[in-house]
Amino acid sequence: MAPVGVGDTLPDGQLGWFDADDKLQQVSVHGLAASKKVVLFGVPGAFTPTCSNQHVPGFINQAEQLKAKGVDEILLVSVNDAFVMKAWAKTYPENNHVKFLADGLGTYIKALGLELDLSEKGLGIRSRRFALLADNLKVTVANIEEGGQFTISGAEEILKAL
Amino acid sequence: MASALVRRARGSAAAAPALWAAARGVASVGSDIVSSAPCVSLQKARSWDEGVATKFSTTPLKDIFHGKKVVIFGLPGAYTGVCSQAHVPSYKNNIDKLKEKGIDSVICVSINDPYVLNGWAEKLQAKDAIEFYGDFDGSFHKNLDLEIDLSAALLGHRSHRWSAFVDNGKIKVLNVEKAPSEFKVSGAEVILDQI
Repeated sequence: MAPVGVGDTLPDGQLGWFDADDKLQQVSVHGLAASKKVVLFGVPGAFTPTCSNQHVPGFINQAEQLKAKGVDEILLVSVNDAFVMKAWAKTYPENNHVKFLADGLGTYIKALGLELDLSEKGLGIRSRRFALLADNLKVTVANIEEGGQFTISGAEEILKAL
Repeated sequence: MASALVRRARGSAAAAPALWAAARGVASVGSDIVSSAPCVSLQKARSWDEGVATKFSTTPLKDIFHGKKVVIFGLPGAYTGVCSQAHVPSYKNNIDKLKEKGIDSVICVSINDPYVLNGWAEKLQAKDAIEFYGDFDGSFHKNLDLEIDLSAALLGHRSHRWSAFVDNGKIKVLNVEKAPSEFKVSGAEVILDQI
């Protein structure tokens, strides 16, 4: 699958999530994103440094600014199971807006065309580092990193585009 | 049919014919854990920086098992209920008793990446007592036929909940729960009596 790009429709998929009542749910991407302005950003792995120390905090800290500019949902997706995503989310007690969603089997990342083989690092097939802006399911911004670097996929770039 | 026989035998801790089982790479009492899973390595739980520093090295099974008395237990997933609240604490709390019985190392293994496992082990404050190893692509558990499809729980292919006493690579005791949510036969107290 070619990587998702500007002008594409955001594909639908099921992601795992422990809701506010700590119940394991499957949520549909279209259910979360239809008729809304959403940021969807992806990381290679929970509990790894760039993801934990830079990429995620950027969106947590800029969440209010993003909301002020009309963003309805800030969705984080990673190829990890929902238990791991829940535990990782707990390490950010200051987070009010970012939803930590689990693509446990990697099917959604595959649908986006954004897989990255990190088997030699002991991670298996994961997501590339990316950030998308979608307006009523139409992708308007697609910032996708090469490799594991963190240059264009942060919150600032999305804010600039809004 | 054959695998159903193995499953029944495993449940009652009686051995399926050891030669046949070992040839299939299935874990059973009497089989050699290293030759049941040839070419398989595990990834020691570590931080990413440690991974970079060691060039993401892996640990071959023979380094873990040869010449040692090892108690090893496997579980479905880091940060999940029974694993966190019962299974790991059972071994952490009994580490002295296990060492008194001559056990050289206690190993926890699961189908998780080594970074998630490291975060979890540190949270449980269990790294002093237990060595955590990741079987990130499931090859160790697949070879030993200890894999179970937990896609219904959105976990994918994971390990059964199990424990074993392995002496110089030979499986002397093997306990596998009938369901991964159960915690009846795979705890430290049970295996202490079996060593």
